[in-house]
Amino acid sequence: MVDITLRVNGATRTGSPEVRKTLADFLREDLSLTGTHVGCEHGVCGACTVILDGRAVRSCLMLAVQAAGSDVTTIEGLAADGEMSTLQQAMWDSHSFQCGFCTPGFVMQATAFLGDHPDADERQIREALSGNICRCTGYQSIVEGVLLAAERNRERS
Amino acid sequence: MTAIAAERYTGASIKRSEDPRILTGAGRYVDDIKLPGMLHAAFVRSPLAHARVLSVDASAARELPGVVAVLTGADLDAMTVPAPDPLLAMFGGSGPMPEFTLLATDKVRLVGDPVAIVVAESRYIAEDGCELVEVEYEDLPPVMSAAFALDPGSPPLFANLGNNVARPLSRKEFGDVAGTFAAADRVMDFHVDVHRHQNVPMEGRACIASYDAELGLMTVHAATQSVHITRNGIATRLGMDADKVHVLAGDIGGSFGLKIGASREEQAVAAASRHVGRPVKWVEDRGENLTVSGQAREESFDIRAAFGDDGVLLGLDVRMVIDTGAYPGMGGLVPSIVEAMLPGPYKLAALGFESTAAITNKATYVAYRGPWASETFIRERILDVIAKDLGLDPVEIRLRNVAARTEPPAMMITGRPLAGVTTRESLERVTQLVDYPAFRRRQAQAREQGRYLGIGVATFIEAAPGPRGPEGGLGMESMRLRLEEDGIVALFTGQMPHGQSHQTTLAQIAADEFGVPFEQVRVVVGDSAVVPFGLTGGSRSATMTGGVALHGTRQLKAKVLDFAAHLMEASAQDLVITDGNVWVRGDPESAVAVSEIAARAAAGESDGDVDAELEVEASYDGGQGGWSGGTHCAIVDVDVETGIVKVERYIAVEDCGALINPAVVEGQIRGGVAQGIGAVLLERSAYTEDGNFQSATFMDYLMPTACDVPRIEIEHLQTVPLDADVNFRGVGEGGMIVAPPTVVNAIEDALEPFGVRIYEQHLPPARILELIAAVRPRTGAGTGPGRLPGRAGQGPRRC
Repeated sequence: MVDITLRVNGATRTGSPEVRKTLADFLREDLSLTGTHVGCEHGVCGACTVILDGRAVRSCLMLAVQAAGSDVTTIEGLAADGEMSTLQQAMWDSHSFQCGFCTPGFVMQATAFLGDHPDADERQIREALSGNICRCTGYQSIVEGVLLAAERNRERS
Repeated sequence: MTAIAAERYTGASIKRSEDPRILTGAGRYVDDIKLPGMLHAAFVRSPLAHARVLSVDASAARELPGVVAVLTGADLDAMTVPAPDPLLAMFGGSGPMPEFTLLATDKVRLVGDPVAIVVAESRYIAEDGCELVEVEYEDLPPVMSAAFALDPGSPPLFANLGNNVARPLSRKEFGDVAGTFAAADRVMDFHVDVHRHQNVPMEGRACIASYDAELGLMTVHAATQSVHITRNGIATRLGMDADKVHVLAGDIGGSFGLKIGASREEQAVAAASRHVGRPVKWVEDRGENLTVSGQAREESFDIRAAFGDDGVLLGLDVRMVIDTGAYPGMGGLVPSIVEAMLPGPYKLAALGFESTAAITNKATYVAYRGPWASETFIRERILDVIAKDLGLDPVEIRLRNVAARTEPPAMMITGRPLAGVTTRESLERVTQLVDYPAFRRRQAQAREQGRYLGIGVATFIEAAPGPRGPEGGLGMESMRLRLEEDGIVALFTGQMPHGQSHQTTLAQIAADEFGVPFEQVRVVVGDSAVVPFGLTGGSRSATMTGGVALHGTRQLKAKVLDFAAHLMEASAQDLVITDGNVWVRGDPESAVAVSEIAARAAAGESDGDVDAELEVEASYDGGQGGWSGGTHCAIVDVDVETGIVKVERYIAVEDCGALINPAVVEGQIRGGVAQGIGAVLLERSAYTEDGNFQSATFMDYLMPTACDVPRIEIEHLQTVPLDADVNFRGVGEGGMIVAPPTVVNAIEDALEPFGVRIYEQHLPPARILELIAAVRPRTGAGTGPGRLPGRAGQGPRRC
């Protein structure tokens, strides 16, 4: 066990995970943030994506102890005040998802991507999402949700 | 809530009520549940495809701190009773059933076969414990192909069967097969292979079993398509009364046919919980999911087709062999459905069909989205080959064969009426949308520049639920409906949605029928003690559950109006409900909220003449039913240097009758098509000749990504209402059924300058290059080596 302190969704959190515990398991089990999903545990499906120090990372490929001192945002941190983010709202409006299991990974990946690429076109969005697997939708509705969010962000600014 | 232009919710793309929770991380999947004192399970699994188990030594694992119990196959055999697969028990298997134990005892029959379960304080420790279990095996020759399995010399997987035949060869004939073939202008022979691939829901199998010894009650949190079939599977195996097993289900991360009933692992978890007296959680990891959860579709067909010089298909004579893998599952049931559906929407004078099912040392055959889909693949594939033989266009040969819509409807040669089938309309519409002549010109120009474009079409019909036939019914669907005392219209359904959006779509139907806002309807699922028996599967819910929701709401409303009439001192016939208010027709001043009626009923304001129990039990027989169906069209660009196929455009013209929620329907179609594209271009459950499983990670089993699946254009036909009230038809499986032949037909069209003919379904780049190099029709051979191209690494890539 190692004592760690990190910021999660804007709050300081502490824990004592085993060294071998993944960040995904630490978030889900120790911090009860079960919105982050574990889909493959080998870094391909992207369901476990969180934003760590501003970048989308796979929390199944990272140990909790490696996240000590970092600033982590999970899906629970996007609508912290009860109001969905622009992206979440756009994805709801676009019927982006079906079963919902891959959803947190796509939402976090797209949140990080749109932050860096507010003017992304469809092809760029598809490339940005191509490291996340969805088995239900065929992706079109997800891409449309991201495009809609980008458009709304531009209108606002 | 979306502002709704239309007066009705039904037919509009209402935003899903499921989405606020799943978009904010508030969904509740099995792995999200934490019970007090909960333990975690992991399985010791066989590294060999076929071997005798000589000994299992769990002593070191039992001593590991944190390990609470290790149960071997023998331990579990002593605490459970033999039981059939719950799905087979429901639908009935044919022939003698193989005998085997819950976990392996005497032998293992596939890589990943469970040998022992380790229960520990954490999943990490449980997996440590698995490493310490010593199992001694003695190799047996693996049976890795259906052909070897059907050889009487192959070593039987199950001693009591004495061979590896899951379904003895049987033959049926419809129409005059011999006469039709004798009289035909032409007869052609084909051998077609469909490769093994699998469901791969993003959430694997998972359950938590929690046994209360004092109550004798087993509570199971399950990821399942039916809480009742799971309940029955666990109760039977544990020797418990079904009403002592309580199955709960929340959000489920996809299934596509995989999660029906209770698997051997889930039954073992329940037995382990009863043994240790604490809750036990098991969540399948991706390696387990790919290796042992189940696989589908490994089938081969010898086909003889009789047809006229004019391209009219007269007769088919088909021999089907299905590789059902190691343990009994759905595989033995599939050939009968393939047989029934093989004629599709076409006139066919005669069909001979024989089939057999083989047992091999591979993962068990499970249902996967349109399990009988090979009927469409082989039919649509050979139509294209025949068209080329005759110099006909693929669209033209289909138009010449499709059954005309007549009254009474034409009958499929296998027995069902083709009522309301709009294949011709969908074919014609697809060719308009794609501008077929313009594509042929573009294709010719591209070929001159060394670019190989191809177009493919394929048609299908899906019995969702199927027409009411001469034999009558379509089965039944039940629902309990209740006006709760706060005015909520509650629908209790046995449907167990895992992405299908039933909590939205059923509420749309009920809100319209009752006259309350959408938000005033609650759809209750996932509790075996509360909901009626049901199963989400077979694309049945649109018609069957949509229908029972409509008729049940009508019954409940009549009951509510009777009670309201008593309160409002009016005649029930004069009352209407709109916007959640009951009022006397023509007198808006008289409005009383439905919630007030409900509260007063709950408070017992009844003089005894009128029933204040505002609840009904409804059932529905499918009404007139009907077919879903349509035509899909793909345009592909094949790079003949690399073998890479790009799907440039994809169009679906579909007829699923009246749409409940167009966005939900289109999501089902696109998702199915994506799986079909993946099946052709990427996915394969691959074994070596000695039985090693080669695609146990997502680096080896390649799933389609946002770069592989194109925009899918959809147009809906809503041509022929058959029923007075319910014309919703299912669309769950159609995309997955028809996309593989659509894409393969397009690839063959692209490669026409090489004279390539394709008789298989899996076409990764290496295989495309082999086909071009061979430049001759393949008949009789099995699937080639088709080495899987590994994915370069994790994370985003270039589209």
